[in-house]
Amino acid sequence: MDLLQSILYDMVYHSTPIILCVIGGVFAYKANVLNIALEGMMLCGAFIVMLVDFLTGNLALAVGASILSVLLLGLIFSFFGITCKGNVIVVGLGINMLVSAIAGFVLKVMNSSNILINSLKVSDFKINIPVIENIPILGSLLSGHPLITYLSFLGIFLMWVLMYKTKFGIYVRVVGENEDAARSLGLKVSFYRYMAILIGAFCCALAGINLSLERLGLFTNDMTAGRGFVAIAAIYCGHGDPLVSAVYAIIFGLARSLSINLSIFAGPAAGLFDVIPYVLMTIVLTVVSIYRYKNIKIRGFRINE
Amino acid sequence: METMNRKQKWASFGRSLLSSLVPVIAAFIIGGIIISLLGENPFTTYWILISKSLFTVKGFAYTLHKAAPLILTGLAIAVTFKANIFNMGVEGQLLIGGFFAGIAGASLTGTSPVVTKVICMAVGMGCGVLFALIPAVLKAYFRVNEMVVTLMLNYAMIKILEFLATGVFRDNGSGYVTTPTIQAGAMFRRLGGSKLTPFFFISLIVFLIMYFVMNRSVLGYEIRAIGLNPVFAEAASMKVRNKIIEIMVISGALSGLAGAGQMMSDQFKYTLTFSGTPGLGWDGMLVSLLGKHDPVGILIAAIFYSALKTGSDKINFYTNVPKEIIAVIQSLIILFLAVQFFDEKTNLFDSLKKKITGRDETTVKEEL
Repeated sequence: MDLLQSILYDMVYHSTPIILCVIGGVFAYKANVLNIALEGMMLCGAFIVMLVDFLTGNLALAVGASILSVLLLGLIFSFFGITCKGNVIVVGLGINMLVSAIAGFVLKVMNSSNILINSLKVSDFKINIPVIENIPILGSLLSGHPLITYLSFLGIFLMWVLMYKTKFGIYVRVVGENEDAARSLGLKVSFYRYMAILIGAFCCALAGINLSLERLGLFTNDMTAGRGFVAIAAIYCGHGDPLVSAVYAIIFGLARSLSINLSIFAGPAAGLFDVIPYVLMTIVLTVVSIYRYKNIKIRGFRINE
Repeated sequence: METMNRKQKWASFGRSLLSSLVPVIAAFIIGGIIISLLGENPFTTYWILISKSLFTVKGFAYTLHKAAPLILTGLAIAVTFKANIFNMGVEGQLLIGGFFAGIAGASLTGTSPVVTKVICMAVGMGCGVLFALIPAVLKAYFRVNEMVVTLMLNYAMIKILEFLATGVFRDNGSGYVTTPTIQAGAMFRRLGGSKLTPFFFISLIVFLIMYFVMNRSVLGYEIRAIGLNPVFAEAASMKVRNKIIEIMVISGALSGLAGAGQMMSDQFKYTLTFSGTPGLGWDGMLVSLLGKHDPVGILIAAIFYSALKTGSDKINFYTNVPKEIIAVIQSLIILFLAVQFFDEKTNLFDSLKKKITGRDETTVKEEL
C-alpha cells in the first residue's frame, strides 16, 4: 500500500514539469514552428530563479526574474527563427546549448558546482489539502504537492480551452495549417507564431521553477536531463492536442515513478532503470506513428508530414 | 559573359565565406563583452587563445590531434543534414563506439598491434552503426520523427554506459568510475615529440573518401536530391526508404569511428567525461554548420574549432577567465549560424537595402 501510494505521488511529481512543457509547447507545434528549445527554456527558468534567490533572497523577485528571462529567451528564439527565417532546429539547439553554457560559466565564476539555498525549506512549498490528505490513495494523488503542480494540471484544461474555444487558438491553428490562407485572411502570421512561442516559454519557466526551487531547493547544471525532448515526443504522440499530449506526459511520469520506486528491488541493475522512461517514450512514439499512418496507402515515401 | 560568370562565382564564394565569418565574429564580440565584465582584457585573452593553439608547432600539432574526431563527427552530421534528416544522436553513437572500442582494446591480447587497432576501430564503427540503425529503421519504416528519437536515445545511451562503466566493465583497481585502460597495442603512438597520432591521418583519409562520396558520387547526388525534395526523389525512382538507412549507417559509422579514435588516441579509458562538455557530437554539429555541410568547409571549421578548444585550456593558465567562456561563444556561434544573413533567398542585407533605397536589388541588375 505504501509502495502504491509513493508510486502515485511520484507520478504526479515527475509529470509536472513535462506537463508544463507539453501544454506550452503544443501552441508552437500547432503554429508549425518546431520548438526544441523547450529544454533550454526550462533550464533557464530553473537556473535564474535559484540564482536570483541566492543573490537577493527575495523569492517573488526570483520568480519574476526567472519568468522574464525565459520570455526573453522566447523572444530571441522567435526573432532568429521567425523574423530572420533561420533554421528553427538549429536556433533551438543553439538556445539549449547557450543556456547550459551560461549556467556552467556562472557556476564556474561563483566557484561552485551547484546553487544550494540552505534557508529554503522545500516542505514549506507543499500544500496539504485538509480532509483529502487523509484519504489513502486519493491523498497521495491530490495532496502534498507544491503550487505549480496544481497549476500545471489546471493548465491542461486552460490550454485546451485556449486552443479550441477561443479565436486566438483557432488563428494559431490556421497559421500552422495553411500559412498562405492565414495571410490572405489578413492574419498577422508572425504575431501568432511569436505568441505561440512565448506561451511555451512562460510554461517552461514554470516548469523550471518547479524543478529547481519547489522540488529540491537546488540547481545543478543540466538538471533538466532531456525532459524538454520527452515533452516534444509527448506532443508528437498527442498530435498537439493539450489533453492527449498531457496524458502521454503523465505516462512518462508514471514510467519515471515506477523506475524509481521499483529500482529498490532491482539490486545492482538499479542503474539501468533510469533508461526505462526514455525507451518507453520511443516505443510509444513508434506505436502512435504506426497507428497514425496505418491507413495511408500512398505510393512512395514522404519525409515531412 | 565569362567575366560575369567568374564575378558571380567570386560573389557567391565571398557570400558563403561571410556567412560563416559574421556569426563567428559576432559571437566573439559578445564573448569579449562578457570577458571585459569580468575585469579582464578580451584582446589579450583572445590572443592567448589563438597564438598558443595555432602559432606554435607544438600547439598546432595538438590542435590537429584534437581536430581528428571533430572532422569525423562534423561529416557524420553533414551527411544526414544534407538529406534533411536530423541525426541528433551523433553524440550517443560516438559514446557507444568509444566505449566498446575501449572494451575491445582492453580485452584483446595476443594479436599484433595493427590487427588490434583495426579490430577496435571496427568494433567502434559497428556499435555506432547498430545504434544509428534504431532511429533509421523507425524513420524509414514507421515514419517516426528521427530527431526526437535520437535526442531521447542519447540520454538512454549515457545512462546505459554509465551503468556498464560502474558495474560490469568497471576497473576495480581505480578510485573513480572508469573502464580498464586499453592495451598498449591498441593505442595510437604519438609522432615525434608532438601529440599528433596516426589517427589524424586516418580521419584525413576518411575526409577524402567522404569528399568523393558527397561531391562526386551518385549517392552524394541522391543525398542532395532527398534533402531538396523527397517526393521528387522518390518519383525519380530513388528508394528513399533504403537511402535513409544508408545515410544513417554512414553517419553512425563515422560517429563510432570518431569515438574509437578518441578512445585510442586521447582517452585510453572510458570515464564519465569521455567526450567532454558539451560533447564531441555536439561540437561536430557546430563544425558542420560552420562548414556549411561541405566537406572542405568542415575540415577547416574542425581545425578552427579545435584551436578554440585547445586554446581555451591555456586561457585558464594565463588569465582569470574560466575556460567555460568557450562553450558560451560556441553556442552563440550556433545560434547566429542558424540565420542565413547572406543567403540569396533570404538576404537580410538586400531587404534592408530595399527598404532604405526603396528599390528592388534585382530590378537594378536587370537595368544594367
